[in-house]
Amino acid sequence: MFIFQGGQRMNNQSPEEMQSHMGKWMAWIDKLNKTGQYVSGEPLLPGGKLVSGKNGNSVTDGPYTEGKEVVGGYFVISARDLKEAVEISKECPGLEVGGSVQVRQVMKIEVPA
Amino acid sequence: MAFVQPKETIQSTIDHLFRHESGKMVSVLSRLLGLQNLETAQDIVQDTLLQAMNTWGFNGVPENPPAWLYRVAKNKAIDFLRREKKFKEISPQYSYLLQSEYSLASTVNNLFLENEIQDSQLRMMFACTHPAIAEESQVALTLKTLCGLSTGEIARAFLTNEETISKRIYRAKEKIKAEKIELTVPQGVELPERLDVVLKSLYLLFNEGYNSSNPDKLIREDLCEEAMRLAFLLTTHGVTNLPKTNALLSLMCFQASRLQARLDDEGNIVLLKYQSRSKWHQPLIKRGIAYLEIASATPEISSYHLEAAIASLHASAPSFEQTDWKSIYHLYELLYEIQPAPIVALNKAIACAYAISNQSALSQLLLIKGLDNYYLYHTSMGEIYFGLKERQKAKDHYEKALLLTASRPEQQLLINKINNCEAGQ
Repeated sequence: MFIFQGGQRMNNQSPEEMQSHMGKWMAWIDKLNKTGQYVSGEPLLPGGKLVSGKNGNSVTDGPYTEGKEVVGGYFVISARDLKEAVEISKECPGLEVGGSVQVRQVMKIEVPA
Repeated sequence: MAFVQPKETIQSTIDHLFRHESGKMVSVLSRLLGLQNLETAQDIVQDTLLQAMNTWGFNGVPENPPAWLYRVAKNKAIDFLRREKKFKEISPQYSYLLQSEYSLASTVNNLFLENEIQDSQLRMMFACTHPAIAEESQVALTLKTLCGLSTGEIARAFLTNEETISKRIYRAKEKIKAEKIELTVPQGVELPERLDVVLKSLYLLFNEGYNSSNPDKLIREDLCEEAMRLAFLLTTHGVTNLPKTNALLSLMCFQASRLQARLDDEGNIVLLKYQSRSKWHQPLIKRGIAYLEIASATPEISSYHLEAAIASLHASAPSFEQTDWKSIYHLYELLYEIQPAPIVALNKAIACAYAISNQSALSQLLLIKGLDNYYLYHTSMGEIYFGLKERQKAKDHYEKALLLTASRPEQQLLINKINNCEAGQ
């Protein structure tokens, strides 16, 4: 799983630059889709709530005070191992605009027969 | 699973969509919120495009991209109105309708109808070229609000730094507030004068794109395209569709038809004489002729008429040698009568060299004052002296020109010419 964070530098970009950046994401998804590595993905709206405390009695506006922490969306991809997943993540267009990718493995729970 | 396979790559289907729609939406939202809230309108548009970038990048482009953008921008505008309740500050024409929830949504919706969008852009053109705003700021403001260019892009197009452009735009916005400039189309006697300023700013915009010293070819062509798009918009509106508007658009079509032929594959300049005429864009030439015909329906003659007529003679000449230089020279003489500027005199002298002789062109060039720091003046002097076989004088002028241009292709061309002078000695 790729979790995309930051890349808020785009906030100050021109319409032309935004469109071109969007094109790069689309091309990347397209590529992953063609190689059969793309499984699913969703963008996330900015903002959100952080619920904590017993019975959820503490609800705040989320921990993401800084642009670099904002999660913009996620992909589920299929790769042989973590190493291959990291290689794939290096092509993420968000990296060009100061963003980062968290690469995580989804745990497969083996149910004993 | 939300991923939708993009049908085609985004670049091919929606060239400059964000930029063009940004210009439209800023105009419409400024009309809704009042021009005094231009900044808010721009923020809403920026947010809208960011949202589009984030969701389309993941999920693919929606069926009707502009409609998607308008829907989001509308909702953001309505949110702003509800939240701020600053109805007194926004356009008096709409403040009454916007205060009631009942009429709010329909008023906003109506402004996003196609003909209203065009109307808003037209009003914005007049506002950006308001006489209270300095000429240098007018073009910058037009590019920012109507064409969706960022200050960085405008700065690159005009070979200046971002700070200069930011200041120009800032001063323009201050003027809008101080003079309470509104988004209106001028009426009555005011209209022709104000339209002249609009046309002139589009002419300057096009020229900057057509003959810019900017090495970045892409931005250069974009400026031409923007100027043509806005000039075309003027021809679609009753009050601004005048003969001179059509003449200006005709001129732009003819000049733009040669854009592809003016540079070779390595980006070097190809002079008119050596251009491959098959590379001239015929559909644009046809459009140029059509607009010139519309422009000539009345006896009124503007400088744009004469410039378009000159351009049409170049466009219709089968070869450089078969160009009707006599007619071109005559048209320049007429142009000089209504516009006795040194730059017109320079072009007239060049036409004279072909129509009459190098000698009489030289005597005209020597009379021109005020172009000593203009590289094309010295390039032309060099050409004429070269034609008169005075190679040393030709070389001196080419060298002066070389110091006066920052454009690499121009410099290369001049270096070639200087080498030619030396080879002949």
